[in-house]
Amino acid sequence: MDSNTSLLGIFITMALVNNLILSKFLGLCPFFGVSKKLKNAVSMGAAVVVVMFAASVVSWLLYYGILEAYDIMYMRTVIFILVIASLVQILELTIRRTNVNLYNALGIYLPLITTNCAVLGVTFINVDNGFGLAETVVSSLGAGIGFTLVLAMMSGIRERLDIADVPKSFEGIPIAFIVAMLLGISFIAFGGLV
Amino acid sequence: MSNKPSIKKELVPVLFLTIVVCIAVVALTLTNDATHQPIEDGKASATVALLSELFPEMTDYSLDDSTAIYVIKQDSDIVGYSFSTSGNGYGGAIDILVGINKTDFSEGNIILRGISIISQGETPGLGTKILEDPFLSQFQGLNTDNLALSQNGGHIDAITGATISSSAVTDAVSSSVAEKIDDLRQLNLEVS
Amino acid sequence: MSFFKNFNKGIFKENPVLVLLLGLCPTLAVSTSLDNALGMSAAVLFVLISANIIVSLIRNFTPEKVRIPVFIVIIATLVTIVDLSMQAFLPELSESLGMFIPLIVVNCIILGRAEAFASKNSLKDSVADALGMGVGFGVAIFLVSFFRQLLGTGEVSLFGVGISLPGLSSNPMAIFILPYGAFMVLGCLLATMRYLEVRKNG
Repeated sequence: MDSNTSLLGIFITMALVNNLILSKFLGLCPFFGVSKKLKNAVSMGAAVVVVMFAASVVSWLLYYGILEAYDIMYMRTVIFILVIASLVQILELTIRRTNVNLYNALGIYLPLITTNCAVLGVTFINVDNGFGLAETVVSSLGAGIGFTLVLAMMSGIRERLDIADVPKSFEGIPIAFIVAMLLGISFIAFGGLV
Repeated sequence: MSNKPSIKKELVPVLFLTIVVCIAVVALTLTNDATHQPIEDGKASATVALLSELFPEMTDYSLDDSTAIYVIKQDSDIVGYSFSTSGNGYGGAIDILVGINKTDFSEGNIILRGISIISQGETPGLGTKILEDPFLSQFQGLNTDNLALSQNGGHIDAITGATISSSAVTDAVSSSVAEKIDDLRQLNLEVS
Repeated sequence: MSFFKNFNKGIFKENPVLVLLLGLCPTLAVSTSLDNALGMSAAVLFVLISANIIVSLIRNFTPEKVRIPVFIVIIATLVTIVDLSMQAFLPELSESLGMFIPLIVVNCIILGRAEAFASKNSLKDSVADALGMGVGFGVAIFLVSFFRQLLGTGEVSLFGVGISLPGLSSNPMAIFILPYGAFMVLGCLLATMRYLEVRKNG
């Protein structure tokens, strides 16, 4: 990406034009797994935004501070995923101490954020695009918010689908895929924003 | 003395993890040593391939590090210059290699050799037409004064139905030429 | 369970993509051509088998507390080895598959099998499980790629050899090559499987 692209442009691109779920195929497992109740979807999304933001900043600092300085860029996969795993662990402990209800609601989905390809994917995107620190902050926030947006939209639609007349073979997951396709097509419109 | 066994219990897992990490680091360092050179060689030959596509007569090239401009040589003569740029296409970044004929670089006398699309993610069948000849060949031998879309007064006809891709390429090339022109003039004086 | 049974379940009954719905990201992202599908399956299979072997071998020494970090380090190392090797010796494939090669590290299939199976089962069983899951993944990604490439470009090809449908190749349905088409193909595939299963059961 052009380094002249504005911060707002990056935010919108990561959130809408190159939406992680609909365009880049990242974060699909939670997308199809979690999204039945709106409240859970939003909580999950918020947790992802927090981890994505923290992981992006920390991994960016480590990449340019240590990996590039010592020419060991090939260690990035190992380092980045360990950063994410640690942050998720910290987040989990924090939520358990402060809000037990939220902790119970999120259940197993919290540790699963570690294996959410969206989080690791965004850390790679930031570095591959040559973003500076400010751009990394904006990009990770945009990506996380876009992810949450689509997650929330999907859960709202699936609540309705539960009481709709869906062909038997398509009930449940298959129709969710078709919905994802339609959502994706509607998001093409955002291409004109930037 | 009841502290001793519990300290040991805490230590063993950490020690285990540390050993695993050390083995991992060794394995990765060895792999990197083995693959480092082939990766660099691969990138170098990819660059040669791209530059030769634009300058078929090329026998040698050198890279001026400070300006990131390739100097294209045929035997001992310089035939042109090349540099890469990037545009914001419909599906992300479009990486472009721009080739310029050797000239005196005076006003109105900057002629493109052509351009090469290094990588893109445009819509298959529509935006990907930027890889095809009717569009690409428009840049061959083009005077940079005419480097704009026809609808904006230049000579480049956009691809029907792929205006974003077409203008992304055209804008990227024209702004990169504008950016590099001083460096090109300077470099031209130095190497001639 | 016998070797064959462990292997078989990964392909049909517990197919990681089509039944367990794991590893969706690479399946949809990379399925634009059969070459890509083959490359990705090979990479995943290698990591899966290696990880299962290592985890199973050390399963009696691994302290409970650090299990997950240890698995992550092992898998991340294996993935980096595959990533670097591909960049060096198969650069075009590496470019095609892009960031999804390093993303294999968070492919739920691999960590899932290490955690759920290899850490509790013998070496022989773990290898059978890995083979089955890896092949099952390959079958799924192949199916999706086949339809996407055929309908989206009008031709299918593997290692440069291919067939093209004259009507389609001049006017392919581009939507299948785009992300949205991937969702549609997999959705229909899952629906078809559900239909066949319902019919089989009566």
